Amino acid sequence: AAPHEGAMSNGGVYVLPGATNGDVKPVLSSTPLVDFLMQLEDYTPTIPDAVTGYYLNRAGFEASDPRIIRLISLAAQKFISDIANDALQHCKMKGTASGSSRSKSKDKKYTLTMEDLTPALAEYGINVKKPHYFT
Amino acid sequence: RSGSKLATTPADNYYLARRRTLQVVVSSLLTEAGFESAEKAAVETLTEMLQSYISEMGRSAKSYCEHTARTQPTLSDIVVTLVEMGFNVETLPAYAKRSQRMVITAPPVTNQPVTPKALTAGQNKPHPSHIPGHFPEFPDPHTYIKTPTYREPVSDYQVLREKAASQRRDVERALTRFMAKTGETQSLFKDDVSTFPLIAARPFTVPYLTALLPSELEMQQMEETDSSEQDDQTDTENLPLHMSTDDSGPEKENSSVLQQNNSLSGSRNGEDSVIDNPYLRPVKKPKIRRKK
Repeated sequence: AAPHEGAMSNGGVYVLPGATNGDVKPVLSSTPLVDFLMQLEDYTPTIPDAVTGYYLNRAGFEASDPRIIRLISLAAQKFISDIANDALQHCKMKGTASGSSRSKSKDKKYTLTMEDLTPALAEYGINVKKPHYFT
Repeated sequence: RSGSKLATTPADNYYLARRRTLQVVVSSLLTEAGFESAEKAAVETLTEMLQSYISEMGRSAKSYCEHTARTQPTLSDIVVTLVEMGFNVETLPAYAKRSQRMVITAPPVTNQPVTPKALTAGQNKPHPSHIPGHFPEFPDPHTYIKTPTYREPVSDYQVLREKAASQRRDVERALTRFMAKTGETQSLFKDDVSTFPLIAARPFTVPYLTALLPSELEMQQMEETDSSEQDDQTDTENLPLHMSTDDSGPEKENSSVLQQNNSLSGSRNGEDSVIDNPYLRPVKKPKIRRKK
C-alpha cells in the first residue's frame, strides 16, 4: 500500500514515501523527455542520422523510431561539447592567469591542444597519453 | 589512416566516410565552443571518443532492452543507458534548444556498393523462404553451376582415314630418321651429307644365297610334309593336299636339302599338333595346278 500511494502522484514521477518533506528530490523523470522527443522531430542534430545509425547497427542496436537515433546523437554531441567547453576554460585559464594584455582580449585565437584536452578529460575519468613523437 | 592510399575495400570506404563525417561534426562542435583551430591529435581523440560513445550507448541500450525480454529498444532503455554512463539527462532539452542556433553542417554520405549491372550474368537464384531479406543475394549462377563438356569422337570415315594415314607416315618417317641418325648412313650427294641421309645398306657376302635357299615359311612346310610321309600319324587334314601339290620341280630339289634336317622337325611337329593356334598355322598357299 505504501508504494501505491507514492507512485504516479506527482505527474509521472515516482517519489519515495519518505521524500514528501522535500529532502530527496526525484532524480529521474521521464515525462519531459517524452515531450522533448516530440519536439525532436523538427530539430536535426549535427550528426546525420545515417552515421549514428551506422554505429548503432554495428553495436547491435536496431532503432525502430528515428527520433531515438536523434536523441542518441544529441546526447553524444552534448558529451563532446561539454568536454570542449571544459578544455576552452582550461585554455582561457592558462592564458589570463599570467595577466596578459586586456586590449587584445584573448578570445580570438583559441587552439585546442592536447595540453588543454588532457586535464579536461581527466575530470571525466578518461586518461589519455599521446606520444610526443614517433620513432 | 587518411594518408594511406592502399587498396581499400568498399566496406573500408564505407567506414572511412562515416569516420570523416564524425570528424567534421567534432570540428563544428569545437567551432561552436569557441575554438579557432585545433591540434590534429586532439580532433582525432575527440572523434574516437564520439564513435565509441555512440557504440557504447547502442550496446548498452540493447543490453537493457534484452534484459527485460524485449527486442525493440525504447526511450526508457536509452534514458537508463544515459544515466548509467553518467550523463545528466535533464540538461539535454536545454542543450538542444541552445544549439539550434548553430549551423548544421555534415551532409550525409551516399551509398555506393552495388555491383554494376554489366557484370552480372544470368538470373540469381532467389532467396529461399527461411533466409531474411536483408541478407546478400546469391552469387551469379555461373559461379556454381557446371556443365560437363565432352566432344563427340570424330567418326567421319574420311577424317579417320586421313588421320590413320598421316600417323602412319609420321611414324615411318620418325623411325627411318632415327635409324639414320643412330646407324651408318650413305649419302646421295657428294658434298652434302646431312640433308638426306640414307640408311646404309649392308651388303651380304654371298648375295645370291637368299635366292637359292627357300624362305623360312617354305622350309617349315617342307618339313611338315616330310614328317607326314615318314610318320603314320596324320597331323592335319591339309597335309594330303600339300602332298598332292608338291609336284613342282624346284620343290623336289629343295626336299633333298631338307631331309637332312628331319631330326629337328620331329620335335617341332609334335608341338604343332598340340597347339592349333590359327594364327600360328602355316599359310595356305593356293593350289597350283600344272597342266601336264
